[in-house]
This record gives sequence, structure tokens and C-alpha cells, in this order.
Amino acid sequence: MARTKGYPEALEKKLHEQRFFREDSNPEFSKKVKTLSRTIPHMCYQCGTCTGSCPSAPRSTYRIRKFMRRVVLGLENEALTDPDLWLCTTCYSCSDRCPRDILPTDVIMTMRNLAFQRDIIPVNFLKTVTAIYASGHGVPNNDVNRAARERLGLTRDPPTTHMYPEYMPAIRKIIDHYKLKANADRIIKEREG
Amino acid sequence: MSESGINHKFAFYLGCIAPNRYPGVESASIKAMKKLGVELVPLKGASCCPAPGAFGSIDQSVFYAMAARNLVLAEQMKMDIALVCNGCYKSIWEVNHKLKHNKDLRDAVNEVLKEVDMEYKGTINVYHTAELLYNDKFIGVDKIRDSITNPLTGARIAVHYGCHLTKPHKDREFEKEVMLNTEHPVWMEELVAALGATPVEYRNKMQCCGAGGGVRGYDIVHALDITNEKLINLKEEKVDALTDICPFCQLQFDRGQIEIQEKFGVSYGLPVLHFAELLGLAQGMSPQDLGLDLHAISCEPFLKKVL
Repeated sequence: MARTKGYPEALEKKLHEQRFFREDSNPEFSKKVKTLSRTIPHMCYQCGTCTGSCPSAPRSTYRIRKFMRRVVLGLENEALTDPDLWLCTTCYSCSDRCPRDILPTDVIMTMRNLAFQRDIIPVNFLKTVTAIYASGHGVPNNDVNRAARERLGLTRDPPTTHMYPEYMPAIRKIIDHYKLKANADRIIKEREG
Repeated sequence: MSESGINHKFAFYLGCIAPNRYPGVESASIKAMKKLGVELVPLKGASCCPAPGAFGSIDQSVFYAMAARNLVLAEQMKMDIALVCNGCYKSIWEVNHKLKHNKDLRDAVNEVLKEVDMEYKGTINVYHTAELLYNDKFIGVDKIRDSITNPLTGARIAVHYGCHLTKPHKDREFEKEVMLNTEHPVWMEELVAALGATPVEYRNKMQCCGAGGGVRGYDIVHALDITNEKLINLKEEKVDALTDICPFCQLQFDRGQIEIQEKFGVSYGLPVLHFAELLGLAQGMSPQDLGLDLHAISCEPFLKKVL
């Protein structure tokens, strides 16, 4: 086919390879992140407004812009195995300011979900799950607080699953539907014995 | 106004940290809102929202289903939800909003809820009490000012807005458009001024408290370093107290100051009060009734100034 514009074919091919693909690039990863995050990471033009707005950036090596690039380039392993992935406080400042209307925070959350599918997850996240599975609350009541509540004219336990444990089976059923408790227990055991 | 003086009723979604660590937020909200014509009815059997940082990071599907269960409890009461925590707002409001607007998400959630004989219908709305207080359709600044019996005159109070009530603003829907300003909002300062106190601005006031996204549990020093930066900026303005509308932020600023002292060797002694506690105080509730003695940082220096 006659070419009307652009570089010679051989150079075009070379540039194309350099631009989009590395051996460890997985285009499926980019697509998956886009679908699950319900935002548009491929629109990122790397301006860095996100990193500039990030409260975690000045005190760590966490760079949200770098994670956005990894998504665009499909660098799945590099993104999901980087411990900085867990330093996002989800303050949404980057999402508020992104000039491309991307929600980088939701991109991070999606990558965390994908990391969890490979058992990459800090245990503190899983312990919140086991706490909720046990009592319905991530931060449960205690005796000091029960006494204080009584003094304030409140019920010793709040009118939540604490006071009505009969609501717990439904909660456990929902969590078990996703096998989340079993997975959390398994991973905590592997890490902590 | 009806004879009882109650104009609005909401299902009161408590979350975890307010009822289980700062019960004064719960009692103050119920009493103060009642004086302002809003009744908060217990939402029986509610659970953790679930924690958007932890659950959202692990599996969004479980996050949606768990939040939907709380929403269905309110739907069954045929009542809109009112809540006192930005983190809960993120889960409960946002999941409600997403399920209302995305059929695929709603179908997936209802598939799971069917197993527990529930169905999400999308029949209610979710409000933060701060939003009810500010919006004159429900309460409004003037009505708050009229309800004050113990004005907090002379107290310099700074506001920590927190993140998840208003951010990301492009996804939020507030009747009061000023609430969508996330760069330099002043609507909370208006609420503080209505109590008779002097609202104080400080550098980088919209910065996060540092606790969210699971970071407090994952890397406490990192989280505290963010908190410490805010405390440095607050100290410069010589404020008497910091007010917040999120018990998790409150925990991070209140207990966080003890942890900051242990880990960084600096102490601030800055009292941190939820706006509901401040409102209760200004309406004449005693510090004992508000459980202010449960705070990690003593509220005494502040109380001396305003009582």
C-alpha cells in the first residue's frame, strides 16, 4: 500500500515497538484497570498534577503519576508488586484536580483489588475484614466505652449489630459469598503463622 | 413546623468510631439535631459502612454489597439516612449513588443480597449531618445561631473538612453549591461562627489527616507525619481547638497527638472536637454529657475559655 505520510515503514515499526511495548507489558492489564475503575486512565498525559497534590508524595517514594504511567504501559507486575501502592490515603485531591478528568484514586483502588487477587495485601486490611466478620464493626465496642455510653444516657451497645447480633448471619453470608473471610484467614496465617 | 417541633426524620447511621470511641458525637448529634427540628431514629442492625479504605482496597464487589445491606435497612424503614462521618459518607452515599445510576452494579449487588432475602431498590437518599446543618432546607446557619445558649465567644477554632464528604467533587451532588468548592471552602467556618466562635484559617487546611486508605494501619509513621504537618500549620495560628466532621479524622488528630509525642517527641495539646460536640456545648450540654473526658487530648484549656 502506498504510504502518503509518516516515517519509512521500518522506522515506524521500530518506534511503535519502543513506544508501546516492553517484554513485561500486558495490554490486558490496562484494559482491566480501565473497566474496573470506571475511569479513563489512558487519557493521562503525565502532567504530574496528581503527584503535586498528593499528601503522601513529599514523605515517601510513592508517585501516583508513575502508577498512572504503569497502567497505560500495561506494566502489571511493576505496579502490583510495588509496596508504595498502599501509601495512598484516598484523599482524592489528585482526582479533584486532574485536568483530564481521570480519577487516579480509583485507579489505585482497582490496582489494590488486582493485587489482592494475587495475595498481595498488607495484613491490616484483612484484619478489618475479620473484625467486621466477628462483630459487624471494624472498630468494635469495649467495656470502657460501654460504661461511658451508659453515663451519656446511651445504650451500652449501640443499636447496630452490637445490640442486634441477629443481623450478623446475613453479613457473614455476604462476606462468605466472596470467600473473603476464608482468604483473609489463609493469608493472615501464612504471614503470621 | 409540626406540633412536636420535628420537621424531618432520618435513619441515624452510626458507623463504628463515633459510637464505639467518641459516644459524645452520637448523643450530641441526637440531642442537638432534635432541638433543631430533626429527629434521628436508630438504624437497627447497621454494620460498619464498610471501611472504604480497607474493604474498597480488597474487593470493590464486597464493598458495594456490604454498603448496600446498610442502605436496604433504611429503605425498609422508608427513611433517608443521616450520618456523622466522612468515611461512612464515602461508602454509604457513594454506593447508593453508583447503584442508582449503574444497572450492572445494581444487578450484581442484588444477586448477592437475594441470598439474604434483601433487595436494593434505590428509594432513599443519604446525608451527612453537616450538610443538614448547613442547608436551610433542613436547618441552616440562622436556625443554629438561634439555638445557641452558651456562645463559644473568644474561642479560635480551625476546621478540618476531611476528604470524603466533598471529594471527588465532580461525583458529588450537594444542593448547596459552595460545598462543592474543595480548594478553599468556607461553609464550615460559617457553622463555627454561628456558634459564636472565631473561625481561623490555616495553611493547607484541605490537606488529608493521613489516616485514610488503610495507611494508618499499614504505615502509622507515614500517616502521623501527614497529621503532624497539619498540626504544625495549626500551631502557627494559635488555635484553641480543631473541629472536624469525621470521627476517623478525629481519632487521627486526637489519639494521633499521643502517638506523635511517642514517635516524634513533639506535643501540641490541641483539643479536637467533632462539630456535633461543639454544637452540643454551645447549646448548653455539659462536657460530661458530651463525654469529652474520653478524648485522648484534654479539652480543658478550651473549655475554660468557653464555659
